[in-house]
Amino acid sequence: MTTSGPLLPAAPGLLFEAEGLTKHYGPNPILQDVGFAVPRNKVVSFVGENGAGKSTLFNILSGIVAPDAGRMRIGGVAYQPRDYGEATRRGVARVFQEQSLILNVPVYENLLIGQEARFARLGQVLDRPAMIAAAERIIDDAGLDVDVRRRTGDYDFSKRQSIEIARACLAGIHLAAIDEPVVLLDEPTSALDRRDEEAFFRLVAKIRARGSLLFVSHRLTEVLDVSDVIYVLKDGRLVAELAPGGTSEADLHGYMVGRERAADYYYERRQRVLAPAAPVVLQARALAREGAFEPIDLAVRAGEIVGIGGLLDSGKSALGKAVAGVDPPTSGTVSLDGGPDAQPDIGRFVRQGLGYVPAERMAEGLIADASVAWNISLASGADLFSNILGVWRRRREIAIAEHYVRSLAIRSAAADVRAARLSGGNQQKAVLARWLCREPKVLVLDNPTRGVDAGAKEEIYRLVRDLADKGVAILLITDELLELIGLANRIIVLQRGRRVAEVPAPASAKPTERELVALMLPQSGRADGVPGPAVADPVDPNEPELAR
Amino acid sequence: MSVEADTLSPPARHPLRLPRLDKSLWLPIAVVAVLIAFFSATTDSFATLRNFTAISGQAGALLIVCLGGTFVILMGSIDLSVGAIVLFVAAASVKLLNLTGVGGGVLFVAAGIGLLLGLFNGVIYAYGRIPSFVATLGTLSIFSGLALQILEGRAIQFDLPGFEEIAIGQLVPRLPNIALCALVAWALAVLIATRTRFGRYMYLIGGGETVARTAGIPVRRYKIYAFALSGLLTGIGAILMVARLGAAGPSIGQELLLNSLAAIVVGGTSLAGGVGGPHRTLIGVLIIAILDNGLNLLGVTQYSQMIVKGVVVIAAVLVSRERILGAIVK
Repeated sequence: MTTSGPLLPAAPGLLFEAEGLTKHYGPNPILQDVGFAVPRNKVVSFVGENGAGKSTLFNILSGIVAPDAGRMRIGGVAYQPRDYGEATRRGVARVFQEQSLILNVPVYENLLIGQEARFARLGQVLDRPAMIAAAERIIDDAGLDVDVRRRTGDYDFSKRQSIEIARACLAGIHLAAIDEPVVLLDEPTSALDRRDEEAFFRLVAKIRARGSLLFVSHRLTEVLDVSDVIYVLKDGRLVAELAPGGTSEADLHGYMVGRERAADYYYERRQRVLAPAAPVVLQARALAREGAFEPIDLAVRAGEIVGIGGLLDSGKSALGKAVAGVDPPTSGTVSLDGGPDAQPDIGRFVRQGLGYVPAERMAEGLIADASVAWNISLASGADLFSNILGVWRRRREIAIAEHYVRSLAIRSAAADVRAARLSGGNQQKAVLARWLCREPKVLVLDNPTRGVDAGAKEEIYRLVRDLADKGVAILLITDELLELIGLANRIIVLQRGRRVAEVPAPASAKPTERELVALMLPQSGRADGVPGPAVADPVDPNEPELAR
Repeated sequence: MSVEADTLSPPARHPLRLPRLDKSLWLPIAVVAVLIAFFSATTDSFATLRNFTAISGQAGALLIVCLGGTFVILMGSIDLSVGAIVLFVAAASVKLLNLTGVGGGVLFVAAGIGLLLGLFNGVIYAYGRIPSFVATLGTLSIFSGLALQILEGRAIQFDLPGFEEIAIGQLVPRLPNIALCALVAWALAVLIATRTRFGRYMYLIGGGETVARTAGIPVRRYKIYAFALSGLLTGIGAILMVARLGAAGPSIGQELLLNSLAAIVVGGTSLAGGVGGPHRTLIGVLIIAILDNGLNLLGVTQYSQMIVKGVVVIAAVLVSRERILGAIVK
């Protein structure tokens, strides 16, 4: 049915068109009236903050989510995919943010996944030599140095990312007779190291000669480098269409947040200069978790915001969970507020004044079926909200919940509304209120503004500053570079579970994105899948040069 | 009874309870009304005071056992061993009654044994990290095997004259003591669910175990508490059943597993956890007890009754699932 759409007078040179794409989740508009055109042989980029709707847009383009309204065309033919398989058959291929390769099968099986029928003889028997030959053609075409017969898991993360990109870009061309693929790349380079990045850009050039690419990345310099057209998404709407020539990173950022990134978006002027005597409130010693991160020492002083940065595979989230005692570390100790060094345990730490905001809000942070009040009182059932006999203090619960609904401007009108009905920003405020009502001494925040709209983001940043002013020690783990730079007093950079640098970030001399990214990426190329030595040396925190 | 009034009209008194739950309470109540109307119309003996007394006697033990099970299911787990705990407690208490001079003190012994068996379940489940379904399926077999050894496969009568009065006596006219005990236990369970930390934690663990653990709630400990409470109430239910029947036999508690799960689910406590509560279980128990009694009066065979009950359970789950899906889609 998909090819039976009305043949419109196809605008010559346009490979893909979308108009009026709209999507709501519950009461929240995610995309509103998004329309754009992708010319043949061009790279079109989408930039925007987290929660701006980029992922939803890609989900619609790749058939994973159906839009509430709107139309799409490929080569002038109506395109309305019911699922990802149909999108692939129509020539839309996607590289996902999270890898979707199966680790314990050979590379060639991953490359040809879903295409097995082409290699079946007598119905069921697969012609393996033919599969291997086809896979090798794809790898050669992509210019990768990979043995397709090896187990996929033998290659490291970066190499696997290249394999996945090669599959998305080339499998359709080689096997399915798709002449002009539309390739969706969702944050493809965040996990690539330098050498594979070059291969990636060569691949982009190659695909562009045959089809078109749609590209999402947070790395704005990269976007400016590879794109022919840049669209800016903000709060679910396209707010700008830009040509890379004559556009600067600052311009892009201005459109993304709706204003120039003023220095005080992160309230940098309010950043505290710590007194040397400020006591250490959180002290981790030789904390390690097998398979996630190697022994790390860490100290956060009262009123200080320490940022932790790194790529997806850096182990920074695991470090946060270990410090808070949510997933206890394999070895090492944490001392809270001058207490004894001991194995961290979230139950004990909560009693002693620690709060932990997880990155996965819906899975770990919030009970969607419970009311806002229940979610706020969640961590304080043992002290604030029940008496010595275990009787629940309902009046106090309601009063405190209503207090935070007002003071944090949680737009749910009332404390008894189901948390699922709130927007991401308001949900996150409820999670924060859970800890605020305990007047914590230490907060571990893992991506506190993920999936939060720009307005609520700013409120959360202000709140974080308020807490630091009150002397709360804050460990901030975040994927958002600008947030990391803007909020932190100093930044610890992790690379594959190893601490590689510590960068001071005083309000007067913040490091740049480029400097931090350089520290996060492994610098040297490595032999086939074997992790090489990281070149970036730990930086002396007292050395001011790096902090520009 | 003030507690009853409170739980049946929650919107005004419970600003934190979700309105969706309250509306859904009307469906099981309507089912009770329809069943009563149906059996009153089709049989002569159903709508008599005598029969209502009989129903309340039958429903009493079931309600007590179901209350503990409600907390376990609220928490997102399941206890399949309730019938086996009843069998074991019944066998052990009858033996104790006949061989020692515990007399009325056997009430406490039975409760204590139930508590220990529940603790055993809870520890295996929480510390062994075995799904509760599997853990209690195992203990179901263990407890039954031990109990049948104690009974040597036979029914044993107790010889303590007057002991049956704690179950079939009528402190309140027309209401057997076993039903009175059950109503008191129900009122306490409702208070525990709505007004205590334990109750709140059951809802939170059922609604989002990972969230609860990430916020520092001692999830494992509360899982054990829930199973211990279930065991305790089941033990009390068992000794009252023994008193009512005058003996403990190999078939005691046999129907309890299906009946208790049916009553809890039909009442509206979700098997997924986090939604429902003991106040609803009372209605579920009424539905099951009335169904049992009415079908018997109609002369429906035991085997056909099993079929009907199975259908009712599946229908109840289907209906509640529909409701949840509806809420999400909206």
